[in-house]
Amino acid sequence: MNPLVSAQPSPADLPASGDPARWPWLQRLRRDPALTVEPWLRAIETGALTPEADLLTALAAQLDAAAELRLLRWWAAQPSPDPRLPALLGRHRDPRLGAWLLARLQDGPAALAAGLAPVVAEGLLPLLGAQRLPQAWPVLKRWLLAPVAGPLRRAALEGVAVGLPVWPRADLRGCLQGLAADLDPRLAAGAVDLLARLPRSRRLLLPLARRGLDPSVALRLQRRLAATPVQPLLLVVHGRSGGVLPAEVLDLAQELEQRRGAPVRLQALTAASPPEAGSWLRSGPQLTLVPLLLLPGGHVRHDLPAIAAHWRRLTPLLRLPFLGAWPRWQAGLAAEVQALAAAHAGPGLQPLLLHHPLTTPLAGRYLARLEQVSGGRAHATPYSAGELAEFQLPRSAPALPLALAANRFTDRLGDRVGPPLLQRPALRQLLLEELEALP
Amino acid sequence: MTGSSLPSAAASATAPPATAPPATAPPAAAPPAAAPPAAAPPAAGQPPLSPPLSKIEQAKAELCGLELAPRLEELGRQGWEALDEATLTIRLKWLGIFFRPVTPGRFMVRLRLPNGVIRAEQLEVLAEAVDRCGEHGSADITTRQNIQLRGLLLEDMAPLMAALEGVGLTSRQSGHDNPRNITGNPLAGIDPEEFLDTRPLVDAIQAALLGPAGPRNLPRKFNVAVGGAPDSFLLHNDLAYLPALRAGDLGFTVMVGGFFSAQRNELAIPLGLWLPAGQLPAFTLAVLRHYERAGNRQQRNRSRLMYLVDQLGLEGYRQAVLASWQELAADLGPELGGDPAAACPHDGSHLVSRAPRDGLGLQPQKQEGLHWLGLHVPMGRLDGEAMTELARLARTHGSGELRLTEAQNALIVNVPAERVEALLAEPLLQRLRPDPSPLQAEAVSCTGNAYCGFALIPTKGTAQAVLEELERRVELPHAVRMHWTGCPNACGQPYMGQIGLMGAKARKDGQMVEAAKIFLGGSMEAEPKLAELHDKGVPLSDLPDVLEELLVERFGARRRTSAGA
Ligand code: HEM
Ligand code: SF4
Repeated sequence: MNPLVSAQPSPADLPASGDPARWPWLQRLRRDPALTVEPWLRAIETGALTPEADLLTALAAQLDAAAELRLLRWWAAQPSPDPRLPALLGRHRDPRLGAWLLARLQDGPAALAAGLAPVVAEGLLPLLGAQRLPQAWPVLKRWLLAPVAGPLRRAALEGVAVGLPVWPRADLRGCLQGLAADLDPRLAAGAVDLLARLPRSRRLLLPLARRGLDPSVALRLQRRLAATPVQPLLLVVHGRSGGVLPAEVLDLAQELEQRRGAPVRLQALTAASPPEAGSWLRSGPQLTLVPLLLLPGGHVRHDLPAIAAHWRRLTPLLRLPFLGAWPRWQAGLAAEVQALAAAHAGPGLQPLLLHHPLTTPLAGRYLARLEQVSGGRAHATPYSAGELAEFQLPRSAPALPLALAANRFTDRLGDRVGPPLLQRPALRQLLLEELEALP
Repeated sequence: MTGSSLPSAAASATAPPATAPPATAPPAAAPPAAAPPAAAPPAAGQPPLSPPLSKIEQAKAELCGLELAPRLEELGRQGWEALDEATLTIRLKWLGIFFRPVTPGRFMVRLRLPNGVIRAEQLEVLAEAVDRCGEHGSADITTRQNIQLRGLLLEDMAPLMAALEGVGLTSRQSGHDNPRNITGNPLAGIDPEEFLDTRPLVDAIQAALLGPAGPRNLPRKFNVAVGGAPDSFLLHNDLAYLPALRAGDLGFTVMVGGFFSAQRNELAIPLGLWLPAGQLPAFTLAVLRHYERAGNRQQRNRSRLMYLVDQLGLEGYRQAVLASWQELAADLGPELGGDPAAACPHDGSHLVSRAPRDGLGLQPQKQEGLHWLGLHVPMGRLDGEAMTELARLARTHGSGELRLTEAQNALIVNVPAERVEALLAEPLLQRLRPDPSPLQAEAVSCTGNAYCGFALIPTKGTAQAVLEELERRVELPHAVRMHWTGCPNACGQPYMGQIGLMGAKARKDGQMVEAAKIFLGGSMEAEPKLAELHDKGVPLSDLPDVLEELLVERFGARRRTSAGA
């Protein structure tokens, strides 16, 4: 047979639904590399042919964007459109297709009142998401948040799902976090699942755990959290002499371990040796080293690299910057300073940030920055026993000790400068949440 | 047949693709020995593969899907609509990722679970992947002791592949023209009746096939299986190794060419070779290397191995495979290439003599004091919750290991006597029963129209409803294997069922309605047989009546007398 004269499969020849010849016929149609789709489109548009799902499945791979658009137009105009069809179309990302979808759905649920059939909206919303047009985000959101039937809102959420990487991140996060508490548990569950797909999802999911969610959604949240990988943490703290760990530090580590469901170990700079390397090290793909040090002094520059080198010989290691450099921590300090200033209102009473003496230019720059961010004024204080005995606080300005946990300084001057930072509820809470949300 | 004209199957000749060799090139019967598989377009001077390549062959030759692995994250960010058709529907399958036309944007991932073995922590990773897809997510146990996950977004793939690797799983080359999941005795290593443990053999074959010497571009899919027990029925595979004695030594006789399709169904036939266990990986490589080179790449519906056997004749095929092995051994050395001299002529007799056990319920292992518990998974479909629970049961009551069967069921193994009672009291067993009815126990079903655009009936739903109705009507003395499939593609292996059912349409009261063809007589016993057409279209509404009649007449079923009568 000469393939050049072989007839094009024609709509008129398509065996009727139920004819045993139809199935193999459609298989060939699907694979025909030389198929012209125009007669098929025309037959459908003129009503000569009803596009059942099996026919569209066979044609789907052969359609270009323009053909898909024609079929979608035809479909949307049907008196009772077959809900299965749109999923088989819209396989191409195409400006005209996108614009058409946008125009249909633009007005949000108001379009329903203007004659858009719910079944059409439901079919088109996921396709709109798949086009990934930035302009589609507010449209999807409009449908998602409107008081309309569940299936429509869920179709909009599917639209969000299939375009997930392109929506504006902050708005998306907020929107999904809100939906997680929605009264429709199916929608809420979908929102939780999508949050779990975003980068650094623990930070997004954890706050939900403290909200009153539908029980099935809360369980789903637990499962998502359980599956977001959590590394074991090594908290490096200064410690007291002889490696003694202050109670508030032990307490923090214990609560953290419970909340994270993964090992948390402490290493004091003042201790003779690091904690033992045991099976806890292998509870995650790597160890996260968290320097709970407040100032970029000698400990950060010399001790930390040595500590990191020690652990790196045992496990892959992720080393975080020292706590004093974390923007959220600095913001927390600023809030504490402002509260202090408010309580001691008076002219010229800029709160002091009492810190261990530092010598390097780097440390100087750091302190300048901290002053700027927090509104406090850095003030070096002696720490050695002898000097401490002599030490007098300048004027009567309020002061904040830059000491995470109880030390000689806060022991001695606690009644003047208040408790160390970890004993202050707001800062403790902030640190706990930051550490909990770490991967 | 009606008189309708079929779309031209030969139309591939009309448009020579740009990368294809010139049409004047002589058709190449077999490229020279050392020619590498066609992973790249044939370079100048290299013999062309054939006349112009089909769209599929062209796509495969241009770029091997495995090359996409490092780009998955980027592809996820771009979204699937940005992919070209060949990448979307062909190449991604080399990574085990399937675009599903019925659920565009929601992808399927098919794993490889050699010998159907899976551990609790692996199952948990899969459970999580499915669970986070919510209403879209589910998993099927397949008829190749494997699992496929549904409802995933393309963005999920990069993290999922990393998570799979983290627990020692892979989805590599699990679809399209690749060697599929290798099956073995689901009870391997715990089976009081086994001749040998198939697990290390299956693992070694998989390692060889996925290793650097393995095939990347076969003409068509390829199924390999290893038998280890008297019930290892495996003749539906392209290449099956059945346990066989030769001069008192236990080894394997080689069976080739089994497959089912819409066009043709064959059981594998003896190749006339016997191999010691250690040679299976190398021999498999040799068979596939030969198939890769000599298989039919012009007509996809004539490219399964049996067509090649037909073309060369059994004797000619055996010689060709042995020559391929010699060459492989010379290329790779004895470590990977094996020892062709170890192959012995054989009459094809083997130790497999009966249909597969269902393995359900509590059964003693060959290890003193240990049991396995076989659970029935209705239609092989699992959700995230059931998977998580299965993993927990395996961990708390067994050794954390599970097995999957070709009848789409799951076994929890290594349960010590003192854990049995607690295990049997687990609530999950209400859903996945250890003691399903004889009809449910071995019912097998393809996906059907929830995920497959060609299904003529909703396969899984229909099967479940009809079986439940039949359970109410009749009592059966023993299990009856029913295989359900949604269309002539025969994914549900209807020809292997004692009763096979295939989606169809039929006329009833002047209306066209959903219906099922009925096949009867499939046997996996000592004299294996494929089922034959018995009825070409029973409307689904009449199906319970017709099947009830059949069960009573042919399978010894007794009608239940209704309670009131
Ligand atoms: C066991 C004895 C030690 C005690 C009691 C002690 C006490 C302290 C205290 C209370 C701080 C306040 C900063 C914070 O809480 O983050 C501090 C920081 C500091 N310590 Fe120590 N320390 C000891 C060991 C050392 C050693 C051996 C060195 C020098 C090699 C050193 C050098 C510094 C420096 C430079 C800082 C400033 C900021 C920083 O690096 O974090 N300390 N020390
Ligand atoms: S047998 Fe047909 S309906 Fe079933 S999965 Fe295969 S192609 Fe789909």
